[in-house]
Amino acid sequence: MAEAKPVDRSDATASAEDATRRLQRRIRMTQALLPVVLLLMLLGFAAAEPRVLSFGNLANVLQQASYLFVFALAQMCVIVTRGFDLSLGTNVSAVSVLSALTLTGLVGAEGNGVAVAIFAGLLVGLGFGALVGVFNGLVVAWLRVNPFIATLGSLNICLGVASMASDGRPVFNVPDAFSQIFYSGTILGVEMPIIYAAVIGIAMALMFSRTVLGRSLFLIGSNPRAAEVAGLPTRRYLTAAYVLAGALAAFGSLMLTARTGSGEPNLGGGLRLVGESIAAAVIGGVSLRGGVGGVEAALIGALFITVLSNGMNLVRVDGYIQMIVLGAVLIGAIFLDRFRRT
Amino acid sequence: MMDGASGPAVAVERTAPAATAGPRLLELTGITKRFPGVVALDRVDFDLRPGEVHVLFGENGAGKSTLINIIAGTFPADEGSYVYDGREIRRLTPHQAREIGISPVFQEFSLVPDLTVVENLFLGRERTSFGFLSAAAMRQRAEEVIAELGFDLNPRAKIRELSRAHQQMVEIAKALLAEVRLLILDEPTASLTESETSKLFELIERLRGQGVGIIYVSHRMREIKQLADRITVLRDGKLVKTLDSQGVTENELVELMTGRKIDVLFPKIDHRPGEVGLKVQGLTTANHTVEDVDFVARAGEVTGVAGLVGCGKSELIRAIYGLEPLSAGTIEVFGQPMHHITPRKSLDRGVCYFPSDRVVEGLALTRPIRENASMAALDLPQFARLKILRQVSERRAIQEIVDRLRLRPPNIERVVQNLSGGNRQKVMLARGLTRETRLFLFDEPTVGIDVGAKIEVYELMKQLVEAGAAIVLVSSELPEVLHLSNRVYVMHRAHVVAELSGAEMTEQNVLASFFEGDRSIERKKRAQA
Repeated sequence: MAEAKPVDRSDATASAEDATRRLQRRIRMTQALLPVVLLLMLLGFAAAEPRVLSFGNLANVLQQASYLFVFALAQMCVIVTRGFDLSLGTNVSAVSVLSALTLTGLVGAEGNGVAVAIFAGLLVGLGFGALVGVFNGLVVAWLRVNPFIATLGSLNICLGVASMASDGRPVFNVPDAFSQIFYSGTILGVEMPIIYAAVIGIAMALMFSRTVLGRSLFLIGSNPRAAEVAGLPTRRYLTAAYVLAGALAAFGSLMLTARTGSGEPNLGGGLRLVGESIAAAVIGGVSLRGGVGGVEAALIGALFITVLSNGMNLVRVDGYIQMIVLGAVLIGAIFLDRFRRT
Repeated sequence: MMDGASGPAVAVERTAPAATAGPRLLELTGITKRFPGVVALDRVDFDLRPGEVHVLFGENGAGKSTLINIIAGTFPADEGSYVYDGREIRRLTPHQAREIGISPVFQEFSLVPDLTVVENLFLGRERTSFGFLSAAAMRQRAEEVIAELGFDLNPRAKIRELSRAHQQMVEIAKALLAEVRLLILDEPTASLTESETSKLFELIERLRGQGVGIIYVSHRMREIKQLADRITVLRDGKLVKTLDSQGVTENELVELMTGRKIDVLFPKIDHRPGEVGLKVQGLTTANHTVEDVDFVARAGEVTGVAGLVGCGKSELIRAIYGLEPLSAGTIEVFGQPMHHITPRKSLDRGVCYFPSDRVVEGLALTRPIRENASMAALDLPQFARLKILRQVSERRAIQEIVDRLRLRPPNIERVVQNLSGGNRQKVMLARGLTRETRLFLFDEPTVGIDVGAKIEVYELMKQLVEAGAAIVLVSSELPEVLHLSNRVYVMHRAHVVAELSGAEMTEQNVLASFFEGDRSIERKKRAQA
């Protein structure tokens, strides 16, 4: 062994770990360059299909992203506390059905009482969403059940509620006024979904940076034991995070219901919306290990996923292949998160 | 693969051509390592002879961890040469490092909580026959290593069930499982008891005799005196001096380390015991880590609690703060009885607890200093009104406290993760200054922090006590408790076995009371039976 030449041994085993290290560095850079990556992706699709960059399509992307942004914000509320919400998708379905039933039930034959009906529909929808959140929060914070199992349970409960209330059929005849308020109307030429997303985004940004609740959610997610030792009412705040997530999901559901014009028992599509919302939040930089994130992360993540699916649609990627791609993106996002801070 | 790594350490040493390679096992020259924004190591030279204990000494942030991480292959140096056993090594990985006989034991454990001791020892190098794990062979080898180390460790226990001290033993056993030529020990005794420590030292002697080179990081003067052949002092990423340990004095080392003259480590505290701040009677915790303890702490004095690791002293103050469920006993804080204590209630009554494990229980590492410092005070009107944060007021208040604690650099927006041990402790202590606190409970306040920061922590305690606060100081460092306290309770096996004050406060008396304690606890048990 003594006469071995004085160079480093082993490129085989060494290079594997070296490569990981290089990869980590590169990934951290990608994070900062995410807007650039987004732009490149857009240009890439545009090269294959010029319509991607048309004004109409960009406006469409923005509108589409509004929904996902709201759902990603919902998801972020719990992800920063080291949790996540699998019940988001079926919660959306149940809210859609319940609020549509309320709307159609209260509107008279001649279309009178629309204002009252819309108000009641809004209340029922948000109320149910918040209730799901209360349930999730109590189970996670007080019974100390793992968020995966807790929200998997409520996923099924919401699915049951949605199917039972609707008999598995869409609820038609949602009043036009409702669709106008939550979808087709405009303010100063800006479409309503974008307006709602912006308002919610600003409200959540303020919540996270300016309120004791927002601050505490980050602290709890960063180190739950330390938060407890510092006297924070961790269980109450944790519950609040799930309630917020449920209510935001419900609002997103109302926006979607207004777009389809009917209450859809499969609006949230089981786990598709859950996957997209988690992927959006995580790609943007919300860490699944808690304590790190921001509204801007949810925004850029939502844009990323939307541009991706919109581009795939326009270049006519097969729908099933799109599902595979989105699944891979979710896994990729979690891989990114694992490497981002090590 | 390097063939030398497979042979036993001793044999390798004998066959190594001493003439050409020189008596150096490791020779680092001009090592420089930059991290974003800092030069962690600046042209540092370091060498290690076979059969030598070389102590690395320096404040936190001086570059010790960076240096041992480079040696262990965690990350590469940016510049400089790394010669191991006579050959230049480049792009070393942790895995390769182990293969060529470099075994690090870091302070942060790398154990899997849900696996057993044996499974952890062989993690990533499981022994198999025909593709199946040879559980029996692995268990046998594990038992051998543990027995050789003289550790009281059950190989089948899950890591999760073990105390920190026992986890430390597993780490050490893990490092010694394969053939070792260069052993790195990063503050290995921080959580060991006296007897475990002495076993570790015996082991170090044995390894030294076998020609293993040992790099030993420690702040503890007694250990350094006992073990070191040579000492290398680092400061701010630069090599200050490498010196023979013969005839080195403590003050000399501290001066080299801090770059300033330090006359006394412990400040003279002017104790003026007054009102009773804390009165505990017949306290027993639900898990019986504390049994039937009576305890009094007064305003204006430091009340020490001494004892070995695991004696229940830490659990005592945790119970007082509301972190351990009680099964019996009463607690009064400034004359007011406390029931169903929670951290929230304690903080409201002016009680603040500083946990010993800052990473696990103290700090939200991914959040900035400001948020960590104000964490326990978000209910105060100064920090939030109607649950809306008052950012300007918060920033001003925290900046003031951080300046008072001399946190360096004083940028309160830095993420805590990037701070050194001493600075992290200051962020923790800041929490006690954000609200009106009358009773401070310190749990091992100087574990893992450098001498400079230690002195500042002591200085803060002095200020607090002289301003009329009550302080309870729990520490496994005997000199610390004895020098700073006005009175000392000695705990042993969940009981208070002695209360010492004045001239009685000596190390001998504390140690003697352990033995007497053993006897009286046995007597009590027999009487009960």
